[in-house]
Amino acid sequence: MKTESRKEALQYFFEKVVGPMGFKFTPDFELKDFLLEQEVMLEAKHGIPFCPCQPIRRDRARDMQIVCPCIPFHREHFDAIKRCWCGLFVHKDVIDPNSLPQLPPKDVGLG
Amino acid sequence: MGDKFIRAISTEEIAPGGMKTVDLAGREIVICNCGGTYYAIQRRCGHMNAPLELGTLDGKYVTCGMHCAQFDITTGQALSGPVPTDLGNERLPPRVAAMMQNVAMQMQHVRTECIRTYETKVEAGWVHVAQ
Repeated sequence: MKTESRKEALQYFFEKVVGPMGFKFTPDFELKDFLLEQEVMLEAKHGIPFCPCQPIRRDRARDMQIVCPCIPFHREHFDAIKRCWCGLFVHKDVIDPNSLPQLPPKDVGLG
Repeated sequence: MGDKFIRAISTEEIAPGGMKTVDLAGREIVICNCGGTYYAIQRRCGHMNAPLELGTLDGKYVTCGMHCAQFDITTGQALSGPVPTDLGNERLPPRVAAMMQNVAMQMQHVRTECIRTYETKVEAGWVHVAQ
Protein backbone atom coordinates (compact mmCIF):
# COMPACT_ATOMS: atom_id res chain seq x y z
CA MET A 1 0.00 0.00 0.00
CA LYS A 2 1.33 3.39 -0.97
CA THR A 3 1.61 6.00 1.74
CA GLU A 4 0.85 8.97 -0.52
CA SER A 5 -2.39 7.45 -1.81
CA ARG A 6 -3.54 6.61 1.70
CA LYS A 7 -2.72 10.11 2.92
CA GLU A 8 -4.85 11.52 0.13
CA ALA A 9 -7.72 9.18 1.04
CA LEU A 10 -7.53 10.01 4.75
CA GLN A 11 -7.58 13.70 3.93
CA TYR A 12 -10.67 13.20 1.76
CA PHE A 13 -12.57 11.35 4.49
CA PHE A 14 -11.41 13.54 7.38
CA GLU A 15 -12.41 16.75 5.62
CA LYS A 16 -15.99 15.51 5.46
CA VAL A 17 -16.01 14.87 9.20
CA VAL A 18 -14.23 17.93 10.56
CA GLY A 19 -15.79 20.53 8.22
CA PRO A 20 -19.28 20.40 9.75
CA MET A 21 -17.71 20.65 13.20
CA GLY A 22 -16.09 23.99 12.33
CA PHE A 23 -12.57 22.68 11.82
CA LYS A 24 -10.21 22.51 8.85
CA PHE A 25 -6.78 21.05 8.17
CA THR A 26 -3.93 23.16 9.46
CA PRO A 27 -2.61 25.56 6.82
CA ASP A 28 0.89 24.40 7.84
CA PHE A 29 1.38 22.00 4.94
CA GLU A 30 4.55 20.44 6.29
CA LEU A 31 2.91 19.62 9.64
CA LYS A 32 -0.20 18.24 7.96
CA ASP A 33 1.87 16.04 5.70
CA PHE A 34 3.96 14.75 8.59
CA LEU A 35 0.98 13.97 10.83
CA LEU A 36 -0.97 12.22 8.07
CA GLU A 37 2.08 10.11 7.34
CA GLN A 38 2.28 9.08 10.99
CA GLU A 39 -1.40 8.13 10.90
CA VAL A 40 -0.86 6.00 7.81
CA MET A 41 1.92 4.20 9.66
CA LEU A 42 -0.27 3.70 12.74
CA GLU A 43 -3.08 2.40 10.58
CA ALA A 44 -0.74 -0.03 8.86
CA LYS A 45 0.31 -1.33 12.28
CA HIS A 46 -2.99 -1.32 14.19
CA GLY A 47 -5.64 -1.19 11.45
CA ILE A 48 -6.90 2.15 12.79
CA PRO A 49 -5.55 5.68 12.19
CA PHE A 50 -4.97 6.70 15.78
CA CYS A 51 -3.97 10.24 16.78
CA PRO A 52 -0.18 10.31 16.44
CA CYS A 53 0.36 12.40 19.57
CA GLN A 54 -1.51 10.18 22.04
CA PRO A 55 -0.46 6.88 23.61
CA ILE A 56 -2.36 3.71 22.72
CA ARG A 57 -3.36 2.13 26.02
CA ARG A 58 -4.77 -1.21 24.83
CA ASP A 59 -8.03 -0.20 26.44
CA ARG A 60 -10.57 -0.30 23.64
CA ALA A 61 -12.98 2.24 25.12
CA ARG A 62 -10.23 4.80 25.71
CA ASP A 63 -8.37 4.06 22.51
CA MET A 64 -11.50 4.70 20.46
CA GLN A 65 -11.43 8.25 21.79
CA ILE A 66 -8.13 8.95 20.06
CA VAL A 67 -9.10 7.71 16.60
CA CYS A 68 -8.48 10.62 14.26
CA PRO A 69 -10.36 12.90 13.98
CA CYS A 70 -10.90 12.75 17.73
CA ILE A 71 -12.60 16.15 17.91
CA PRO A 72 -16.02 14.93 19.16
CA PHE A 73 -14.44 13.36 22.25
CA HIS A 74 -12.41 16.39 23.29
CA ARG A 75 -14.50 19.14 21.76
CA GLU A 76 -14.55 21.53 24.71
CA HIS A 77 -10.78 21.63 25.00
CA PHE A 78 -10.21 21.90 21.25
CA ASP A 79 -12.74 24.70 20.93
CA ALA A 80 -10.99 26.57 23.73
CA ILE A 81 -7.53 26.29 22.12
CA LYS A 82 -8.87 26.46 18.53
CA ARG A 83 -6.94 23.37 17.48
CA CYS A 84 -6.70 19.67 18.22
CA TRP A 85 -3.85 18.40 20.36
CA CYS A 86 -1.50 17.43 17.57
CA GLY A 87 -2.42 20.46 15.45
CA LEU A 88 -3.70 18.58 12.42
CA PHE A 89 -7.00 20.43 12.68
CA VAL A 90 -7.64 24.04 13.57
CA HIS A 91 -10.74 26.20 13.73
CA LYS A 92 -11.81 27.45 10.32
CA ASP A 93 -10.97 31.06 11.21
CA VAL A 94 -7.34 30.27 12.12
CA ILE A 95 -4.80 31.63 9.65
CA ASP A 96 -1.60 31.29 11.68
CA PRO A 97 -1.67 28.06 13.71
CA ASN A 98 1.71 28.85 15.29
CA SER A 99 0.15 31.79 17.10
CA LEU A 100 -2.24 29.54 19.02
CA PRO A 101 -1.32 28.90 22.65
CA GLN A 102 -1.15 25.28 23.78
CA LEU A 103 -3.06 25.39 27.05
CA PRO A 104 -3.77 22.41 29.28
CA PRO A 105 -7.46 21.69 30.08
CA LYS A 106 -7.23 23.20 33.57
CA ASP A 107 -6.05 26.55 32.16
CA VAL A 108 -9.20 26.86 30.06
CA GLY A 109 -11.56 25.93 32.87
CA LEU A 110 -11.80 22.21 32.15
CA GLY A 111 -10.87 19.20 34.26
CA MET B 1 -17.71 0.16 -31.73
CA GLY B 2 -14.54 -1.86 -32.18
CA ASP B 3 -13.83 -5.24 -30.70
CA LYS B 4 -12.01 -3.82 -27.71
CA PHE B 5 -15.10 -2.75 -25.75
CA ILE B 6 -18.18 -4.66 -24.63
CA ARG B 7 -21.48 -2.95 -23.93
CA ALA B 8 -22.04 -3.38 -20.20
CA ILE B 9 -24.88 -1.35 -18.73
CA SER B 10 -27.10 1.66 -19.39
CA THR B 11 -25.93 4.84 -17.69
CA GLU B 12 -29.47 5.31 -16.37
CA GLU B 13 -29.19 2.16 -14.28
CA ILE B 14 -26.58 3.56 -11.89
CA ALA B 15 -27.23 6.70 -9.87
CA PRO B 16 -24.26 8.92 -8.97
CA GLY B 17 -22.38 7.27 -6.11
CA GLY B 18 -23.89 3.91 -7.02
CA MET B 19 -22.42 0.59 -8.06
CA LYS B 20 -23.81 -2.30 -10.02
CA THR B 21 -22.46 -5.71 -10.95
CA VAL B 22 -22.36 -6.99 -14.49
CA ASP B 23 -21.18 -10.28 -15.88
CA LEU B 24 -19.13 -9.71 -19.00
CA ALA B 25 -18.10 -12.89 -20.72
CA GLY B 26 -17.65 -14.67 -17.42
CA ARG B 27 -15.93 -11.77 -15.69
CA GLU B 28 -17.61 -10.30 -12.62
CA ILE B 29 -17.25 -6.54 -12.88
CA VAL B 30 -18.62 -3.68 -10.82
CA ILE B 31 -19.47 -0.48 -12.66
CA CYS B 32 -19.15 2.59 -10.43
CA ASN B 33 -20.74 5.97 -11.10
CA CYS B 34 -18.37 8.52 -9.60
CA GLY B 35 -20.12 11.84 -10.15
CA GLY B 36 -21.05 11.00 -13.74
CA THR B 37 -17.74 9.34 -14.59
CA TYR B 38 -17.92 5.58 -14.87
CA TYR B 39 -15.25 3.22 -13.63
CA ALA B 40 -15.07 -0.55 -13.85
CA ILE B 41 -13.40 -2.68 -11.20
CA GLN B 42 -13.20 -6.35 -10.41
CA ARG B 43 -16.11 -7.44 -8.25
CA ARG B 44 -14.07 -9.31 -5.66
CA CYS B 45 -12.39 -7.51 -2.80
CA GLY B 46 -8.61 -7.74 -2.76
CA HIS B 47 -8.75 -8.86 0.87
CA MET B 48 -11.15 -11.82 1.15
CA ASN B 49 -13.12 -11.83 -2.10
CA ALA B 50 -16.31 -10.28 -0.76
CA PRO B 51 -18.50 -8.60 -3.40
CA LEU B 52 -17.51 -4.95 -3.48
CA GLU B 53 -20.85 -3.64 -4.72
CA LEU B 54 -22.25 -4.51 -1.28
CA GLY B 55 -19.85 -2.00 0.24
CA THR B 56 -19.96 1.77 -0.14
CA LEU B 57 -18.65 4.18 -2.74
CA ASP B 58 -17.57 7.63 -1.59
CA GLY B 59 -15.92 9.73 -4.28
CA LYS B 60 -13.30 7.53 -5.86
CA TYR B 61 -13.00 5.29 -2.81
CA VAL B 62 -14.80 1.99 -2.40
CA THR B 63 -15.03 0.40 1.04
CA CYS B 64 -15.68 -3.32 1.27
CA GLY B 65 -18.70 -4.18 3.36
CA MET B 66 -17.07 -7.21 4.93
CA HIS B 67 -13.92 -5.97 6.67
CA CYS B 68 -13.81 -2.32 5.48
CA ALA B 69 -10.74 -2.66 3.25
CA GLN B 70 -10.56 0.39 0.97
CA PHE B 71 -9.56 0.75 -2.66
CA ASP B 72 -9.14 3.56 -5.17
CA ILE B 73 -11.47 2.74 -8.07
CA THR B 74 -9.48 4.86 -10.52
CA THR B 75 -6.27 2.90 -10.04
CA GLY B 76 -7.33 -0.26 -8.21
CA GLN B 77 -4.81 0.50 -5.51
CA ALA B 78 -5.39 -1.05 -2.09
CA LEU B 79 -5.47 1.82 0.41
CA SER B 80 -6.11 0.04 3.68
CA GLY B 81 -6.58 -3.45 4.99
CA PRO B 82 -9.30 -4.81 7.26
CA VAL B 83 -10.40 -2.82 10.28
CA PRO B 84 -10.02 -4.82 13.50
CA THR B 85 -13.27 -5.86 15.13
CA ASP B 86 -14.01 -5.97 18.80
CA LEU B 87 -16.59 -8.09 20.55
CA GLY B 88 -16.41 -5.99 23.68
CA ASN B 89 -16.97 -7.84 26.90
CA GLU B 90 -19.29 -10.38 25.37
CA ARG B 91 -18.33 -13.88 26.50
CA LEU B 92 -18.54 -16.42 23.72
CA PRO B 93 -19.16 -20.13 24.20
CA PRO B 94 -15.73 -21.87 24.34
CA ARG B 95 -16.13 -23.65 21.01
CA VAL B 96 -17.12 -20.43 19.24
CA ALA B 97 -14.28 -18.55 20.91
CA ALA B 98 -11.81 -21.20 19.74
CA MET B 99 -13.14 -20.98 16.20
CA MET B 100 -12.91 -17.17 16.24
CA GLN B 101 -9.36 -17.40 17.51
CA ASN B 102 -8.47 -19.74 14.67
CA VAL B 103 -10.07 -17.41 12.11
CA ALA B 104 -8.23 -14.43 13.58
CA MET B 105 -4.94 -16.31 13.47
CA GLN B 106 -5.46 -17.19 9.80
CA MET B 107 -6.60 -13.70 8.88
CA GLN B 108 -3.29 -12.30 10.10
CA HIS B 109 -1.72 -13.95 7.08
CA VAL B 110 -4.20 -12.57 4.55
CA ARG B 111 -2.74 -9.77 2.47
CA THR B 112 -4.89 -7.09 0.91
CA GLU B 113 -4.07 -6.99 -2.77
CA CYS B 114 -4.82 -4.26 -5.30
CA ILE B 115 -7.91 -4.86 -7.42
CA ARG B 116 -8.09 -4.93 -11.19
CA THR B 117 -9.57 -2.00 -13.06
CA TYR B 118 -10.88 -1.88 -16.62
CA GLU B 119 -10.97 0.91 -19.15
CA THR B 120 -14.45 2.29 -19.79
CA LYS B 121 -16.16 4.59 -22.22
CA VAL B 122 -19.69 5.93 -22.50
CA GLU B 123 -21.41 5.88 -25.84
CA ALA B 124 -25.07 6.46 -26.67
CA GLY B 125 -26.10 6.17 -23.04
CA TRP B 126 -24.28 2.92 -22.42
CA VAL B 127 -21.16 2.17 -20.44
CA HIS B 128 -18.71 0.03 -22.40
CA VAL B 129 -15.93 -1.89 -20.70
CA ALA B 130 -12.66 -2.94 -22.31
CA GLN B 131 -12.20 -6.66 -22.76
